[in-house]
Amino acid sequence: MPNPPDQPLLPPLPVDEEPTVEAADEPEPHATTVAAEPRRRRTLDGRKLWSAGHALVVAALALAFGLLLNAPGIHKTAYNQPDGWKRDVATTFTSPLADVSRALLLDRPRALVKAAIGRPDDDEIDVSIDAIPIPAPPSATSPKPRVTPKPQPKPLPPSPARKLAFTPRKQLRLWVAGDSLVITPGYEIVQAAGASPVIIGVGGVEGRVATGLTRPDVFNWFDEFRAKMKELKPNAVVLGFGGNDDKAYMTGLPEGVSIGEFGDAAWRREYRRRLAIVFGTITKGGGHVVWIGLPITRSPAQTQRFDIVNATVVAEARRWPKRVTYVDTYTMFAGAAGGFAEYLPNAQGRTERVRASDGVHFETAGGKIIAREVLKALNRAYDLTSWRKTKLTTDP
Amino acid sequence: MLFPTATFAFFFLLVLPLSWFLMSRPSRWRPFMIGASYVFYGWWDWRFVFLLVGCTLWNQVLAVRIWQTPVTSRRKALLVLALAGNLGVLGYFKYYDFFVTSSDSLASLVGADLPLEVKSIVLPVGISFFTFMAISYVVDAYRGTFQPTSLEKFAVYLAFFPHLVAGPIVRPSELVPQLDRPRDPRRVDTSRAFYLIATGLFKKVVIANYLAAGIVDDVFGAPGEHSSLEILIAVYAYAVQIYADFSGYTDIAIGIALLLGFAFPQNFDSPYAAGSLQDFWRRWHMTLSRWLRDYLYVPLGGNRGRRLFTYRNLLLTMLIGGLWHGAAWTFVVWGGIHGVGLAAERWWRERPGFVRRPPTTWTTWRNRLLTFHVVCLAWIFFRADSFDTAWQLLGGLFTGWSEPSPLVTSGILLAIAVGIGSQYLPSRVPRLVMARFSRLPVLGQATVLAFALTLVNAMGPEGVAPFIYFQF
Repeated sequence: MPNPPDQPLLPPLPVDEEPTVEAADEPEPHATTVAAEPRRRRTLDGRKLWSAGHALVVAALALAFGLLLNAPGIHKTAYNQPDGWKRDVATTFTSPLADVSRALLLDRPRALVKAAIGRPDDDEIDVSIDAIPIPAPPSATSPKPRVTPKPQPKPLPPSPARKLAFTPRKQLRLWVAGDSLVITPGYEIVQAAGASPVIIGVGGVEGRVATGLTRPDVFNWFDEFRAKMKELKPNAVVLGFGGNDDKAYMTGLPEGVSIGEFGDAAWRREYRRRLAIVFGTITKGGGHVVWIGLPITRSPAQTQRFDIVNATVVAEARRWPKRVTYVDTYTMFAGAAGGFAEYLPNAQGRTERVRASDGVHFETAGGKIIAREVLKALNRAYDLTSWRKTKLTTDP
Repeated sequence: MLFPTATFAFFFLLVLPLSWFLMSRPSRWRPFMIGASYVFYGWWDWRFVFLLVGCTLWNQVLAVRIWQTPVTSRRKALLVLALAGNLGVLGYFKYYDFFVTSSDSLASLVGADLPLEVKSIVLPVGISFFTFMAISYVVDAYRGTFQPTSLEKFAVYLAFFPHLVAGPIVRPSELVPQLDRPRDPRRVDTSRAFYLIATGLFKKVVIANYLAAGIVDDVFGAPGEHSSLEILIAVYAYAVQIYADFSGYTDIAIGIALLLGFAFPQNFDSPYAAGSLQDFWRRWHMTLSRWLRDYLYVPLGGNRGRRLFTYRNLLLTMLIGGLWHGAAWTFVVWGGIHGVGLAAERWWRERPGFVRRPPTTWTTWRNRLLTFHVVCLAWIFFRADSFDTAWQLLGGLFTGWSEPSPLVTSGILLAIAVGIGSQYLPSRVPRLVMARFSRLPVLGQATVLAFALTLVNAMGPEGVAPFIYFQF
């Protein structure tokens, strides 16, 4: 790369490929000289030069026409924004735009492209979570969910004899899904699980940025769970949600239901209803849920909101004993003084960066910590080791 | 503010007419452009605007002093002070935590405990780019090759929003003279500007994002779970992704600057068509490579000494270039692979008895393939989040050929083929496209662009993924 000074290898710069009119300009001390200069209309390779006004008109027209051509997608983007005045303004503008686009058939080219790439439903706004029957939890008598790594009075509640056993020939199928917070830990979980001959990752890590359970219009996880349970048939589903749910706004509310402030009784009731749908969908298909709780973050206000989401999840998880395990990342990622820590010592005592610079997401080392806890939870929920003993006793 | 967002579109539609309106009155245009650029930068975090202002003042004061001081030793002292300030800021924000954790790891090997604590410092966007541009300014003043300009012009040079957060790294001699005179509003190369913006958007939003979501993130996230074929294709895909992402960004930046009347240097020139690593670095991130050449390699001694001295300089330049990309040892290894490769090429060419023969089709393609694969090998370390991951990927290339490869789809292969194939497109093709486009009437141009936007918007993912080079 670096070229010797006596033998220049890089092309001379500025590197406009050809000498343009720009390069031929003489210095102009003030504006009046601009008008006095001869006016060339083309570059040397035949491109016509236009005025700045032309550039502005073309850009404005292209954007206006582009808005109409892409109106359904733009309307969905506007609709999917966080609740607030920006969203109100955007939807007020884009809703009629989408209607005009449809009426003039200007949405067709976009629809054709979407169909050609196999994503014909991209622009639909789907908030239909009520179509799913709310499953009843299997038991509502359990006193407490299993929360790791907090010490439990009586750990490992299910008796070992009743645990479903997996072997290298009958592997536990593991799927990871959630919002952006689950992506890095998800890959570490899949990696760590892959090291065990009895666990197989299915469906990779489905981490969808800026999604959650409050906004099925942004991404309808409820539909996704139904589809993926049929398609992947996972025995265990690791979930991580809530990072985008800490707001006083939900779409897909049942008729007559409204929520007040974030975290109030109505909000918690509705959020638990959605959690119940998720837990029910997964456990009905035979899956065990491992829920990764929200971590402590750099922002105290955000941490407080995450506390509310976590408490709501824990409350609902209690109703699904033996089927839902809650992994508490809050304390796992607190520093020595109990506050947020971007760096933590690892098992060897070396300081490692566990949190991303945004103060919310995880770095790889943080993902590894979560992966260990998730695998512990799976070991508690299922019999993943007895095959070794069987193998030992049957070995010659 | 990210280029491919509605926020930026509104921002630019406001800035573009105002900029041209004020262009003939530089005393108004410059404060306006400084303000607009600070708004652009502060949109991410307004507090770091003060860092940019501080960097501007520091370098302007010292560059002027350096220029005015006749005594060499004093000029040198001022230069050292200026560099210390720039590198100190860069070091603090970018490398402090890396230094502490690396020192801690080293100390723990011998059982020592260092009293250093990590600070969890937030890295200001674009700091590596504007710091390098500021260094150019003071070094050029020291060398006497560029006379410092007014504070106002320097502030525009450093903060001009099209290049502010991810380059290209423009030299003072390239941009400041353009600020000396108003741009001519009658002769704007709009067709080239629109072509660069449209193709840049396609590269970033469609190609780069599709490859990232379709195979790269999954394979680099959990390499142990993928077949050899998936790993191989993911490495190729990453090579295309980072090219499409970064060159897409700079194409948009160059196009936006053109619409405002300013010419930026080219930053990419079909790098995967390179026949050697030296050739690759003439084509990849060209503004960084010439910066490293002129402000690092040459001051280190360049090739003015013995052979080993030259190899050492090449290696050092690339190692530092690697570290510039990120505060991690994986980036250093990436730079090391390129440094060793460049030194090896030089040794090969300079060995006794070497005769340069005219290239044949076979040797041309052999060299291109070899260069591409060395570059891909280096990309593994560049993308991997740790050495463990990099070794897993390298090991996985040889151990899982019989496993299924569901991530290798026709769409992924097509995107890679488009990304690499486009670099072999004869240069007359884009020239012809631009010339034809320039002859269309206003409505025709707007319609073509609107359909291009539709293609990008419909084929891209929902939401906006950040540019890879923002983190550098």
